[in-house]
Amino acid sequence: VTNPAPAPAVPALITINVDGKDHQVDPNQQLVDALNAIGTYTPTFCYHQDLKVAGNCRICLVETEGPRGFGLGISCHLRPAPGMKVRTPASSDVVKKARKGVMEFLLVNHPLDCPICDKAGECTLQEHYMNSGRHESRLDDDVGKNYKGGADHRFTDSKGDDRGGKSIDLGPTVVLDQERCILCDRCVRFMRDVAGTEQLQLAGRGDHAYITTFPGEKLDHEYDLNVTDICPVGALTGKHFRFQQRVWLLKKVESIAPDDSLGANLTIEYNNGKIWRIMPRRNPGVNKSWISNRTRLEYEKLGANRLIDGRINGAPVSVSAALVAAGKAIGAAKRIALVASGHLTTEDNAAILALADGLGGKAEVFGGSWLAVGKADGIARSGDPVANRKALNLLNIPDNLDTLAERASEFDTLVVFGNDLWAANAAQAAKLETIRERIVLSSWIDASVAKATIAIGIRCWAEVRGTMVNSQGRIQVLNACPVVASDQLEPAWQVACRLASYGGKPIPWIGESDAWKAAVARVPVFTGVTYRSIGPMGLLIQQAPAPAAAAKV
Amino acid sequence: MPQPTHWKGKELPKVISGLFEVENGHQLEVARAHGAYATIGPKLFDRSQFEVITEVMDSGLRGRGGAGFPTGMKWSFVPRGGKPVYLVVNADEGEPGTFKDRLCMTRDPHLLLEGCICTGYALGVRTAYIYVRGEMLPQIRRLNQALKEAYAAGLLGENIGGSGYSLDIYIHRGAGAYICGEETGLINSLEGFKGQPRLKPPFPAISGAFASPTVVNNVETIMAVPKILMNGAKWYRQWGSDKSPGSKLFTISGDIGRPGVYEVPLGISYLDFFELAGGLQGDLLGCIPGGSSAPVLTAEETAKATMDYESLASLKSMLGSGAVTPFNTTRDPVRILETIARFYAHESCGQCTPCREGTGYVDRIVKKLAAGKGRDGDVELIKDLADRYEWTTICAFAPGAAWPVQSFVTKFRSHFLGYIDKNPEHAAGRDLVAHRPGAFW
Repeated sequence: VTNPAPAPAVPALITINVDGKDHQVDPNQQLVDALNAIGTYTPTFCYHQDLKVAGNCRICLVETEGPRGFGLGISCHLRPAPGMKVRTPASSDVVKKARKGVMEFLLVNHPLDCPICDKAGECTLQEHYMNSGRHESRLDDDVGKNYKGGADHRFTDSKGDDRGGKSIDLGPTVVLDQERCILCDRCVRFMRDVAGTEQLQLAGRGDHAYITTFPGEKLDHEYDLNVTDICPVGALTGKHFRFQQRVWLLKKVESIAPDDSLGANLTIEYNNGKIWRIMPRRNPGVNKSWISNRTRLEYEKLGANRLIDGRINGAPVSVSAALVAAGKAIGAAKRIALVASGHLTTEDNAAILALADGLGGKAEVFGGSWLAVGKADGIARSGDPVANRKALNLLNIPDNLDTLAERASEFDTLVVFGNDLWAANAAQAAKLETIRERIVLSSWIDASVAKATIAIGIRCWAEVRGTMVNSQGRIQVLNACPVVASDQLEPAWQVACRLASYGGKPIPWIGESDAWKAAVARVPVFTGVTYRSIGPMGLLIQQAPAPAAAAKV
Repeated sequence: MPQPTHWKGKELPKVISGLFEVENGHQLEVARAHGAYATIGPKLFDRSQFEVITEVMDSGLRGRGGAGFPTGMKWSFVPRGGKPVYLVVNADEGEPGTFKDRLCMTRDPHLLLEGCICTGYALGVRTAYIYVRGEMLPQIRRLNQALKEAYAAGLLGENIGGSGYSLDIYIHRGAGAYICGEETGLINSLEGFKGQPRLKPPFPAISGAFASPTVVNNVETIMAVPKILMNGAKWYRQWGSDKSPGSKLFTISGDIGRPGVYEVPLGISYLDFFELAGGLQGDLLGCIPGGSSAPVLTAEETAKATMDYESLASLKSMLGSGAVTPFNTTRDPVRILETIARFYAHESCGQCTPCREGTGYVDRIVKKLAAGKGRDGDVELIKDLADRYEWTTICAFAPGAAWPVQSFVTKFRSHFLGYIDKNPEHAAGRDLVAHRPGAFW
């Protein structure tokens, strides 16, 4: 087994000349990316690494040498070529003047409503103005702004002045402020080229052009909230985040989508003890820059309907009381069925295996899920709702819930770790109700908790540190957001350790890295992998052929 | 009124306008009696494609739509043997002051179709499109009528005249946008997309309509091709100069005795042309030499200029589409620019920032100035804004919108300053829209 996968071959670099200095750059990228990579700040509005080049904002203009001398060109449409000579504002007054003009034109019809704009603080227009604009306005009051917007949505302010299209309800998730739009057409390209439906369109011409949907149609797509991320200004905003928080107050934690086995990379953003939003995190090999609305709105579940205590026969008790009861039950049990879960991290599942080992012959580990596996959408979902299914395979945990249902009579104790069996397949799960003691570890008050004799609350995916292996075989790290539903709650691996000290052989782990080391000991392809070596983009492992469920996206 | 046939003792060329004054010249029978489709036979099909292209290249024919790119050279860029090649005839004539293609299609649609066959044969085209401006309904009807006649006569369709060459022509009606006259905007519109120019490269000759090699030529250019093939490159070069050979249709409107379309050899002086067209009315103040995009000429410059590509280039203007608009001293350059600025603000496709916002911004300033609310510095501001959108966009619309602005405010500066002086508060400080960084925080 070769492990980890060899890094891709270092691309052959070429030399380009920027502002009179030679630089080594990778030719397999747009010039604008090469310029930014060598530290020559080059702003963009319409250019996006994961969208087709449109070249309409013109802010990335540079001069390059052609047959007729230096001429203006947009660096987002050019590719670095050997010996290319590039002039940026640092050395060319022509470029400086052109870019300043673009900035002035962008701002001339843009409303000055940054104080009430949700995008302020992460607005590309604002950032580039502060970085490279900062010129005085030449706009005369008599000339006035042309507030953009379609005829159907004009907004008149308290002074009776026309302010353009404001707060237009585009669909179930997105609101459009047409007067803020700088017509970069990123959203149009996203919906057309990535989402595959042309729900957003540019209407009109000239400075009266505006973004809109077809008459009577709505913007309604599983990925439509991504247009609010790629919008360089505050024109498109998500209903879930409008007027909630100033973005510069938000603190960020990098994590992984918990609801799909592609494991879209995301950032959890929190402040004041609350998670306010989930944003996609760019990973070219996994989800590019996109996440589905379902993943994005996962944060709404983090504070709702949580199991923040324990239950004994349905009656609320403290977590520790429930733990003691569960430990005693395990100690007294003759045959225990442990159900591992692909919704939990690799560390959690390693702890379940360690618990089973400690319990010796009386415990048997089952795994898998009864949830239906859908189809990959080609954007940021593989269709398999069991996020960590691959890790279960690697840990040799069988996919045999049906066997468990068949053999339910053999067991007197069932311990389910974060796997809502009753919600996934109530008919099959009903067979498990013959087992006398049913211990359920869950983050939410779900169908399984209702059927449990003992229920123990555990931390959910956003509150733990750990790893998951996605459908491509990429190990990715989840980080713990400090916002937790209750201080009583512990990660599933820690609960497993506590149960082990009651019924089996104590597990002497004090952190998730201990659990990870245990997983490494069980899985040969994990050898040598540490949290640090995984990195923010994940680490692709080489391994056995993928099972059918983990479809390639 | 009939066109003059001679000027200063010389016969005027009738390359394109040969049938313009023939009654019912648009009908196939009449046109054929006057020599239409004479090339469709050995004259064309006995030559190789290379020979046809070389003939056109030798004739020095340059694109008549505005840019003046050598036609033969354009054709030679087209790759062969891969994807199908498309010919698109640009009949989206929209340049203010220009109305030559409209007349061509009204009076001699068969010459256009004949030109399509010749060009199509040279380029190996199976399908050609004629993209006609949406407003030109009578011309579209006439073209369709001509198309029907040509198909019935076996001049189009499968195996034309037993030559083995097949060509189908489709008339596509535009939806009324000036920018669809830009070749990639036209291709987008033809494909059913919004009429916005495409990023180049790739150029249409490599990847144009339906991602295939495409040649986009003006109506007048295509109509000259059969005549050149019929009579030879040398014959065509009897008119004009070395770099601007041949004849061209010019449309003249404005303060002139007989506005209209005239075919004249390239290289005659503007003042001669004014006389040919019935003489100037009043004293010349200035002249727009080649459509509203072309930088305006003052009276002195007009007196020096001749009607060819080089002379106007030396005056930093251009021949463009050949729309000549002289105006006399009773006209107001500020009002003229107000109209032109409004046109370009209205017709900007809205794609690139500088053009989209800049043309509208300039339009609003000129409008304010013309309304007597100008302030000191407005003229410089207008010029500076036009400089900033001149060459910073995808297509040539923005320079075309910037040139009239730059030339009017520079060459007729005193008129603009006169308007500013009408504002009693013209010297007062500029009342800028509030810009207070940090005011809120």
